[in-house]
Amino acid sequence: MPPTLVSVAVGVLLGVGLLGAAFDRRSLAIVALAAGLPDVDATFEWLGVGAANASLHSAFVVLGAAGLLYYDTERREGSWLRVRGGWYGVRVAWVAVAAYAVAGIGLDLFSSDAVALFYPLSDRYYAIVGKLVVSTQEGLVQTYIEIGNGWLGVASPGTVESHTVDSWLTPAGEERRLRLVESGWQAIIVLTAAAAIPAKALVEQGDR
Amino acid sequence: MPTSTVHAAVAFVLAVGLLGEYYDRRALAVILGIVLFPEVDTAFGLVMDGAHRTVLHTMLTSVVAAGVVYWDTSREGSWIRGRWGASGVRLAWVGVFVHTFAHLGLDWAHLSGINIVWPLVDQFFSLDGELYLSSTEGLVQTFVDIAVDPETGQQTIDAGRGGTTANTHVSSPVQPSKETSEGPVDRRFPIAVGGWQLYFLVVGAFTLLARRLQSTPEEIGDH
Repeated sequence: MPPTLVSVAVGVLLGVGLLGAAFDRRSLAIVALAAGLPDVDATFEWLGVGAANASLHSAFVVLGAAGLLYYDTERREGSWLRVRGGWYGVRVAWVAVAAYAVAGIGLDLFSSDAVALFYPLSDRYYAIVGKLVVSTQEGLVQTYIEIGNGWLGVASPGTVESHTVDSWLTPAGEERRLRLVESGWQAIIVLTAAAAIPAKALVEQGDR
Repeated sequence: MPTSTVHAAVAFVLAVGLLGEYYDRRALAVILGIVLFPEVDTAFGLVMDGAHRTVLHTMLTSVVAAGVVYWDTSREGSWIRGRWGASGVRLAWVGVFVHTFAHLGLDWAHLSGINIVWPLVDQFFSLDGELYLSSTEGLVQTFVDIAVDPETGQQTIDAGRGGTTANTHVSSPVQPSKETSEGPVDRRFPIAVGGWQLYFLVVGAFTLLARRLQSTPEEIGDH
């Protein structure tokens, strides 16, 4: 997986963008935590009860959480969350689910480490990698999705049996590596998120 | 450049949050204009060697812009505030922020990087490397190479130094390569290259959509 630090940074960016008036230290911490949470499934693999980038990276976790949240806050009289946290609680919960899905799972899905998106129904890993370019000579070039005869496909490095995601707990070799930043753009995203927090705090002061 | 679409998407994510109560479609259009503006220097490339990633991609543009906005908004009879009010001031600051991070920052980490303090120093720098905690080597970073010459004992620090305007050309659709070649020129307008660029397009679209679906409470901060 791309480093958890980068997932957290993207989560922070989403929090800055979407928390609105609910933005404060506590809500941002919750959203950042939600963004990093899917990567905990590397621990499951270590314990032997699941697989990295699968157990908590499953779309069903997100669907379940979003469904429950929708039921509680919209469909039910006397919502548990609304009673406890009011408007603030509902907003933070939705943004946290978004951060979990987009920053936590999404970032890994769009990398070659891949995500088993439909785990446990299917244990195949998916990776959306490629390019999309308009060329004056070749027209529209697109390699993210393979378009076959009546089916669409994305790259897959294998299944839970054949593909392992390296992590601190399940190293490929002798050396254990906790990856924090893998490339220049990730460094910029982390820096941007770090700068966006004080900027948003200033903005919120001004708006009140 | 990472594609202009990626710059725009990252800028939108930032703008949605930082514009706050001044967020609207018009403000977003202004932000789009600001974040794409530096690419104008690709056109200068036709008359000046290595102009792209130099003239409008120097970090001095951010310093100067921030200085001007600060100077103007903190004086009596501010021009920005007088003309556009508080929303203009906010927009100007968010503009400086997205220009610095969503444009210059991302370009710094891409291909030959940017000519970071041109015209003070004519030198391209690119940010590339990794940072990890290793069980055998401890904390390792490779963004800045610090090496000691074993013979002279002199310490050299390399933070991704590249060439100068004379020998660096960053390809763009306007000028795919420095030399004019014969035959049909293949001009490529990348929309996304690599998983992460498409990812940020998705994140940008998601943020805008989510912001639209959000309902603003009447009693803000009632918690």
